[in-house]
Amino acid sequence: MSAYIDQFPEEAKVIRSAFYASFFALALGAAFGLIQTLHRTDFVRIIPAEMYYTVLTAHGVLMVVTFTIFFLVAIFTWAVTTSLDRGVEDIRFTWSWYGLMTLGTAFAAIAILAGFTDRTEISADVLFTFYAPLQAHPMFYVGLVLFVIGTWLAGADWFRSWWAWKQENPDKRIPLPTFMVLTTMIMWYLATLGVATSIIAFLLPWSLGLIDTVNPTLTRTLFWFWGHPVVYFWLMPAYMMWYIMLPKFSGGRLFSDPLARVVFVLFLLLSTPVGIHHQYLDPGIAEGFKFIAMTNTMFLLLPSLLTAFTVVASMEHGARQRGGEGYFGWLGALPWRDPVFTGMALAGLMFAAGGFSGMINAGMNINYLVHNSLWVPGHFHLTVGTAVALTFMAVSYYFIPQVTGRRLASKQIALVQVVMWFVGMTFMSNAMHRGGLLGMPRRTAEPEYAGFQFETAIGTVGELNAQIALGGVLLTLSTLLFIVNMSITALNDRDDDLPSNTIPEPLSGPNEAPLVLDNLKLWTAIAVVLVIFAYSLPLASIVERGGLFGPGGDAFPMFLELADSFGFALVGETLSAMVSSLLETLRTVV
Amino acid sequence: MNIHNYEKLWLIAAMLLIIGFIVTITYGSVGLGIAMIDDSEETIDPNALEDHERFGDLGVHQTGDGEYDVNIRAYQFNFEPGSSALGVHDPIVVPENSEVTLYVTSPDVIHSFSVVGTNANTMVVPGEISVMTVEFNEAREYGILCNEYCGSGHHGMEGVIEVVPEDEFHLFSVAGVDAPESAQAGDEVEITATVDNDALDADSAAVSLEIGEETFENELEVDAESSASTTFTVDTGALDLEDAVDIDWTVTVEDGSEATLEDGSASGSIALETDDDENDDTTDDDNDESDGGDQ
Amino acid sequence: MSSDADALERHIGHDEFDPVGTLALIGIYFLILLLMWLFMYFVEFLGNDLTVVGMI
Ligand code: HEM
Ligand SMILES: [Cu+2]
Ligand SMILES: [Cu+2]
Repeated sequence: MSAYIDQFPEEAKVIRSAFYASFFALALGAAFGLIQTLHRTDFVRIIPAEMYYTVLTAHGVLMVVTFTIFFLVAIFTWAVTTSLDRGVEDIRFTWSWYGLMTLGTAFAAIAILAGFTDRTEISADVLFTFYAPLQAHPMFYVGLVLFVIGTWLAGADWFRSWWAWKQENPDKRIPLPTFMVLTTMIMWYLATLGVATSIIAFLLPWSLGLIDTVNPTLTRTLFWFWGHPVVYFWLMPAYMMWYIMLPKFSGGRLFSDPLARVVFVLFLLLSTPVGIHHQYLDPGIAEGFKFIAMTNTMFLLLPSLLTAFTVVASMEHGARQRGGEGYFGWLGALPWRDPVFTGMALAGLMFAAGGFSGMINAGMNINYLVHNSLWVPGHFHLTVGTAVALTFMAVSYYFIPQVTGRRLASKQIALVQVVMWFVGMTFMSNAMHRGGLLGMPRRTAEPEYAGFQFETAIGTVGELNAQIALGGVLLTLSTLLFIVNMSITALNDRDDDLPSNTIPEPLSGPNEAPLVLDNLKLWTAIAVVLVIFAYSLPLASIVERGGLFGPGGDAFPMFLELADSFGFALVGETLSAMVSSLLETLRTVV
Repeated sequence: MNIHNYEKLWLIAAMLLIIGFIVTITYGSVGLGIAMIDDSEETIDPNALEDHERFGDLGVHQTGDGEYDVNIRAYQFNFEPGSSALGVHDPIVVPENSEVTLYVTSPDVIHSFSVVGTNANTMVVPGEISVMTVEFNEAREYGILCNEYCGSGHHGMEGVIEVVPEDEFHLFSVAGVDAPESAQAGDEVEITATVDNDALDADSAAVSLEIGEETFENELEVDAESSASTTFTVDTGALDLEDAVDIDWTVTVEDGSEATLEDGSASGSIALETDDDENDDTTDDDNDESDGGDQ
Repeated sequence: MSSDADALERHIGHDEFDPVGTLALIGIYFLILLLMWLFMYFVEFLGNDLTVVGMI
């Protein structure tokens, strides 16, 4: 019965370093976020318009690559060591992947930030999606590759721990937190194949001048092959916190361990074969493939909807154990004065709203309405920007004392901080959603046009902009409070009565879960098959159309023939033609 | 596995919701015929758009009764036609109650073509052609913008679609003008304008000639997809020439589309002779169609 | 943190616990999702001018 730092002092150092890297990225990212909100709403413009895109690239990469993933590796390491009750196998290996991730981030960040000065040719104003033919300096791509390899090794580290544990405990169920880590990492290995191929085979050689052209649709599709599952990579650590920590902070226990396992298996299976839903409005991809991606995406809602029930039920269990009564009265019995609980609960509430706008995004044809409008950042600031980010900040108030052994500087400021984030995000994201419906574009420095105006049914454009700016300012202040609180905590004096690092037993334990759920090989195989089903045909058809290295005179026909000789392209065309013509036929019939 | 009854209930509700969503979308797709941007067009060499049969001929073309194709090039940082670039206001002009198919491609990076506040919205990817068919049922103006980051000038990438009443829409262009190169003050000169009608119906063109300070107007019936000529006879003696050395003239045909502004008018000048023995040699003032707009 | 088991008024096991509050909340969420979906699809989307139609 002791705090994490006493159980695993060596691991605590790595985890601490990962948290600090993550917070550093958050702080910088928030500063850029503030510049963006004030610039695009025309309240304060301290940079020339062209520089907005350098800022936006930095904001995107720092937030969704550095902040989220460094945080993830920290709590995944915590989860594996705590739930297996053993340290990592070799701490030098652990430090090496941490080092690689840091080096990768530094490379990418230098390439991006160099865009601010004219003293060097280096720049990477390509946003975090780096769609070709926009090109970044090779250092940017190298940085991303190093970072991803770092995460691969981190995964290897956790698998290695599990493997060693399994030798000693052959008949035990995989503890739930470790199970969550392993399934998430399998998904990650599968997903990163897309972006790794895109960068290593195409974008990096292209930026080095080894090849002349790339196929923009191919690199874009490979990006989204990874780009959708990556959102679950951000979300899974937050889900893990909701499943295993939120019940603890509510004074209850996880409602059902088996269902939690089912949910993570579903994410492993369904996260990847859906990426084409980001390309509903792309030319060069058959309607049939888009329809298939749409149905897969809709079924991917299921694990999230199940999570909503299980997590709320666990909170309710806590509330009732604390004396809560009635249909809704129990909500009052929850520990709302605890910033860890409140932050997570508010994050979950915002996820419910973000989930809804995500359902709209998923709806193939309704995507015409919202695609690339301000609605989209409105959506993902609720999901990754709050459900994930706010959960992370909230649990940090628990974890930082655990891994430093220091006293939390201020619980009151922490409570103000999480509520302020919630309020700020309510303003910013609501106005972004509404602006998007008017047709306001995302990723635009100065969305003010000479030839037309946005037509509002209710309110005015000025009012929307004011809400976005106000929300952005509150969010930045909230981040500032967080960073200050965490910094003081890290330097605070030792806390000798930290709560012990335990995870309470679920109400319905792992032994209720069918054994097959722990069969990772089986789920991996099914996940691979589903990805092959969903992607081999679209990819073959894209290569068939545009060539591996782009359409037109610049393509290398040799590779085209290769794709043909596999007979892939032919099958691909036939299948997509079948689904498309089915839709067409139905259309004529109706 | 022990699942609580309430949770089972929620599982069923969640599945129904998911199926409901899929059904709604399928209804939109099949029942209402909302098509997705797809792979129906061949790929195109982004470095050679001018050689492409469609993108070598940008602008509005009639393809059937009330049906039009518009070929649009989206490039850093304009739409052609659509944007006001290099001082030329070049909106896309189409008639009311028409079914218009927009073909958009890019010679450089990824853009979008998005009609503001509507459901007409597509990515534009170099090497691919995006096709959208939409119905314009109301005479009004729409904004167009690019909503995919395409470089440092991305925020300035905008344009306009003008939907005009049917009777104000024409596809005329001035194919050529025959005017004397020089004349003597007091002479009568003949200026012949040839007008092309690209529409699939015969239409009467209001052709006007501005010469000196005067304006003349001729009504000209032009058959579908063909050309016709009209001749203006001008008595230079009646013009208020003061002591000019040239008489400037401009022939304009009333055209729905300002997009073809350059084709819609032709101008030149007639040198005023003081010397008696110079001939009235008439040369063809060459006004070949330029391929729509500025480059 | 407030997870101290001593702070609890009672202990409720799996079989004694019916999450009625959760059912009520999630029922409301279900209705919101349904109504908002219908609103977004049929009013905001289909009510919008200019829709891309099939070419047959
Ligand atoms: C201080 C708080 C924040 C503020 C004020 C803020 C503000 C903004 C704004 C205004 C944009 C839209 C820019 C545009 O499309 O023109 C944006 C984009 C974005 N934000 Fe944030 N944000 C904040 C926090 C976060 C967090 C916590 C995350 C994720 C963990 C995040 C992820 C992103 C991403 C991925 C983009 C899109 C970048 C792109 O389009 O390439 N933001 N942010
Ligand atoms: Cu996605
Ligand atoms: Cu653009």
